[in-house]
Amino acid sequence: MQTESRIIQNILLVEDDMRDVDLTLAALEDHHLSNKVFVVHDGAEALDYLYRRGKFAVRGAGNPVVILLDNKMPKIDGLEVLKIIKADPKLKTIPVVVLTSSRETPDLIEFYQHGVNAYVVKPVDFAEFMRAVQQLGVFWAAVNEPPPDSASGSTPMQSGKVVPPGKEG
Amino acid sequence: MDANSSSGPGAQIQDLPVGCLTVAAMNEALVLGAVRQHELAAAAELANTQLRKEIGEREKAEAEIRRLNIELEQRVAERTAQLQSANQELEAFSYSVSHDLRAPLRHILGFTNLLKKDAGPALSETSLRHLATISESANRMGMLIDDLLTFSRVGRAEMKTANVNLDELVRETLGDFQEETKGRTIVLNLHPLPCVCADRALLRLVLVNLISNAVKFTSHRAEATIEIGCVPGATAETVIFIRDNGAGFDPHYAHKLFGVFQRLHSTNEFEGTGIGLANVQRIIQRHGGRTWAEGVVDGGATFYFSIPNPNGGRHANGK
Repeated sequence: MQTESRIIQNILLVEDDMRDVDLTLAALEDHHLSNKVFVVHDGAEALDYLYRRGKFAVRGAGNPVVILLDNKMPKIDGLEVLKIIKADPKLKTIPVVVLTSSRETPDLIEFYQHGVNAYVVKPVDFAEFMRAVQQLGVFWAAVNEPPPDSASGSTPMQSGKVVPPGKEG
Repeated sequence: MDANSSSGPGAQIQDLPVGCLTVAAMNEALVLGAVRQHELAAAAELANTQLRKEIGEREKAEAEIRRLNIELEQRVAERTAQLQSANQELEAFSYSVSHDLRAPLRHILGFTNLLKKDAGPALSETSLRHLATISESANRMGMLIDDLLTFSRVGRAEMKTANVNLDELVRETLGDFQEETKGRTIVLNLHPLPCVCADRALLRLVLVNLISNAVKFTSHRAEATIEIGCVPGATAETVIFIRDNGAGFDPHYAHKLFGVFQRLHSTNEFEGTGIGLANVQRIIQRHGGRTWAEGVVDGGATFYFSIPNPNGGRHANGK
């Protein structure tokens, strides 16, 4: 289909650990949101996606309605990604939710200082983890009114599994 | 000569020796004086040499003191740097524990549950029980990690001391337990408490831990009694006690109560990781106070903590 290269994902999940990707998608699946997630595996890839460069040069226009950003990642970590996003007038309206394993406060303060929209400590308990991710997904993808330059949610979505854009729908 | 003639021959004899004697004496005196002067000069020289020596020694000593001072300052600076780096290491360690140990736990729990969801209907009761045990153990490890982090934070947190109204703080803390104690009969016996000079947040943690223990260890009682009061008589410090009619403990092991992860009851009997009293002790020690406990098996327990009064108690215990 012609529209395939213009497929737009609503939620950008930036997470290097495939186990966390699986768990996050499993949680969102219960609310039929997992198919709205596009996954990238480190900060560098996230920036390529947002700036539509490299392998993401062909992706459809529009920003994700929310970025779920892991903190500790190889190459460029979550905080650096956040700083770049919030310093760019074209990107800074995208809500950024940091998902982290760490409860340590210095992180929290730094992220808020750089304009993070929410800071969520991934609960160790499974039920709590599911609830937290589902609440986030529902809130940002359905309840919250996204900024005007976000991609429309009505376009066909691809599966939540990691699929390079432009292939499979 | 007139004088000589008038004085007679005797006088002449007398006169001569007098003059001679005077000269001789003067000479002698002069010699003696010279000798004396020489001696004095020698003595002065000696004293000067001594003095110079002493001045030299004193200068040397002063130089040594200066050197020692500089060395001491250097050593203090080195130790401070070492402590700072140890502290940083500890913080990095806590961070790592907080971040890196929690992630695999989350995965164990997550995938155990996904497995149960996927294969649950096909699994035997035993297999399901095994899965439940995996989850419980991972959850418990999560609790231990969190507790260890709290313990480490309690030791590192900056202290902000102020006048704390204990009556108010106890009431506020007891409010936290309303949900947990719903449906239980607990008789609260609260005595008036003084103000203490302490870090409010840390002191609250002390009360949370002690009250939580009292609530927990009386859970097998049809009617639980918890009494909180101040031991009268102490002036240099304020001594607070929390008494319950719960399971108590063997006084033989009282010294183990405040150790990290030390428990005197099995987890089957009473839940817990054994960090609560370790936190209590650490916080009270940081305030310069003491913690101790009295108890009998099945006869209840009383926990005490003391907070030193400012000015050695002269203005203390006033509200």
